Amino acid sequence: MSALPSVSTVAERPLLKRTVAVNRQPGRVVLQHLRDEIELEGAAAQLFSKMEAQLDGKTPVDAIAAGLKEKPARLRALLGQLEKAGVVSLLSANDDAKLTTGMEFYAIHRERCLYWLEDVYRHPLWEKIVTGKASRAQVLGFAFEKYHYIEAAFEHMGIAASNASPEMMPHLARHFIEEYTHGDIYRRGLRSLFPDDIILHSQPLPSTRALVNYLNECAARSSFAYYAGNELLQMTENTGDSDAGKSVDDFYGAMRKHYPYTDKLIDSFIAHTKADQALGHADAFVLMCESVPPLTRREVNDALNVAKNMAEHLVLFMDGIDTFYDRFATVPRLPCDLKSE
Amino acid sequence: MSISHRQFRAKRVYEVTPRGGQRELRLSDRIVELGDQEFDWYQKVRSWLPSIRGLADLSKDLAMDEAKVPKFLEALEKSGLLYRVESPDKPMTGLEFHGAFSGILSSWLSEAFEHPFWERMMSGRGSARLFTGWLIELYHYTKNANRHMPLSCAQSHEKPIKQLRAKHYAEEWNHYHYFMKSLKALGFTEPQIADSVPLPMTLALSNFMRQAARHDVLAYSVCSAVLEGTTTDRGTYSPYYQKSADLYGVPQDAVTPIFAHLDLDVKYQHSDLFRDILETVPVMPPERASLVLDYGHQLVEHIWLWTDNIEKYYQVDSNLVPRRPFDVVLD
Ligand SMILES: [Fe+2]
Ligand SMILES: [Fe+2]
Ligand SMILES: [Fe+2]
Repeated sequence: MSALPSVSTVAERPLLKRTVAVNRQPGRVVLQHLRDEIELEGAAAQLFSKMEAQLDGKTPVDAIAAGLKEKPARLRALLGQLEKAGVVSLLSANDDAKLTTGMEFYAIHRERCLYWLEDVYRHPLWEKIVTGKASRAQVLGFAFEKYHYIEAAFEHMGIAASNASPEMMPHLARHFIEEYTHGDIYRRGLRSLFPDDIILHSQPLPSTRALVNYLNECAARSSFAYYAGNELLQMTENTGDSDAGKSVDDFYGAMRKHYPYTDKLIDSFIAHTKADQALGHADAFVLMCESVPPLTRREVNDALNVAKNMAEHLVLFMDGIDTFYDRFATVPRLPCDLKSE
Repeated sequence: MSISHRQFRAKRVYEVTPRGGQRELRLSDRIVELGDQEFDWYQKVRSWLPSIRGLADLSKDLAMDEAKVPKFLEALEKSGLLYRVESPDKPMTGLEFHGAFSGILSSWLSEAFEHPFWERMMSGRGSARLFTGWLIELYHYTKNANRHMPLSCAQSHEKPIKQLRAKHYAEEWNHYHYFMKSLKALGFTEPQIADSVPLPMTLALSNFMRQAARHDVLAYSVCSAVLEGTTTDRGTYSPYYQKSADLYGVPQDAVTPIFAHLDLDVKYQHSDLFRDILETVPVMPPERASLVLDYGHQLVEHIWLWTDNIEKYYQVDSNLVPRRPFDVVLD
């Protein structure tokens, strides 16, 4: 965050970030933030505890120092370290005017998204499938909802490309053109169990609809925020790194073992992963971040809120499969007609 | 005569209740009783119907002579559990469609509200926290009417329907103030609520309404009718609010604005709006009628999952209430 000169440090008001959890233990303080833990010991722990109540973003450093009868330089040294560690912000009058470059945004986005995605990976449905506890409806439902989500590239990627800002247009156009056939890969798998017209007319769960509609709405409104959200979804795809690859292989292996009828479905999941890897989607977001003009705080917050909401929608997507197919076990889901009700 | 999957589909069953070695299957217009064996067969038929498996496979699943299977399917059809796809539907008038809709609305509402959350709240196993969460989401949902009601006007093409939709919007647009009043009585400040972030399913409801508005104004209107159906009849919501208030120590000041809002809906007669709209529709081809109906049922499913989303979030004590937006400097 560097485009404007910073104002004198005198006016800086330190804030312990709202998302930091403070754990106090004898002689030490542990600050938890995202996936990090920062440990303070001895004098640093003492000084932190003394000033903690005033790290409210309203009190200038000098005023805190005066109140505590401490040297401002000593406070500044600790606060500087805490700021570097990401647990304290030094607020100033021109926070709103600071600009963030695309590549600075890329780093912040990645760090946050990895944290927000933890809830997706912790979702109980994974464990249920791996251990064979998921029902037939949940397992087939999982395949159908994945299909509906991928097939919805027609919707959100189409809306995104047709509403693209000038610098995002080539990226969003390419993305649509590369992805719109991928639903067919999943459909091929589903055809091992269901007739084609049933698959084509089947209906997603409200939770899948929620994810797709959220993408659609973002795509119509802001190209960059949309892609920041879409990138979070891309981060869940297996990009070919060997650790992630192994855990995906293990998941599919367990699924095949417990649910032999999903063999062809899993083949289609793997075929899709390979198709995505061949396209090199992993680089798309870096290229976009390189090409966007510097972002205001408002734009940064907008894009990050979309990414955070996307993670919540992804949890909802999992939840829908888990909960809805457990309670309403009909799969595939066909639309109503005049006689069905 | 050969019987294939394509010929039959299963009717929606709204509830299955075991009763003395039998099962009662509740359809929108009847109750069908099945013994254990028949129920097992029926379930096998249901999963066979949309599959690629042949009649021989079904006969094996049912351990039933292949020649007897068609008779069994016809018996299920006669009982009302299956229906034939190919017998063509005729076009109907808007009012005829309204008649069909009214016949199933109560079954749909029972489905929307069968989520265990309601029973939990009414039996004292809920909490003030859950009650508050529901109110916050209701605030967002009501405020988000501004994201879909005017869009439905913009997307309708017939003057009388445009007019009716616009009038509804004019009457409805600022009703979120009622929920703000309730939430203030619970101790929240106005900016705390106004700047908060709705749950994904709360947002999903208004996004789905936007989808419906863009697709077909009647698809939108049926969703609106299902939602109005939940509020017009004081019988649906009133006991929930009053009982929760009593059970969880919710101050009366927080409940009064909710009742004031419910009364307003009754005063405006919003439950008649769908009928007024359909009255202007001389003919609905069966494809359009099915599409509209399908939007209505999707909305029912949205309500169920919305309730689930609210319960799952607000029952966790460490989750923030209200949910605030992320800020790159403050978080
Ligand atoms: Fe793909
Ligand atoms: Fe209202
Ligand atoms: Fe109303």
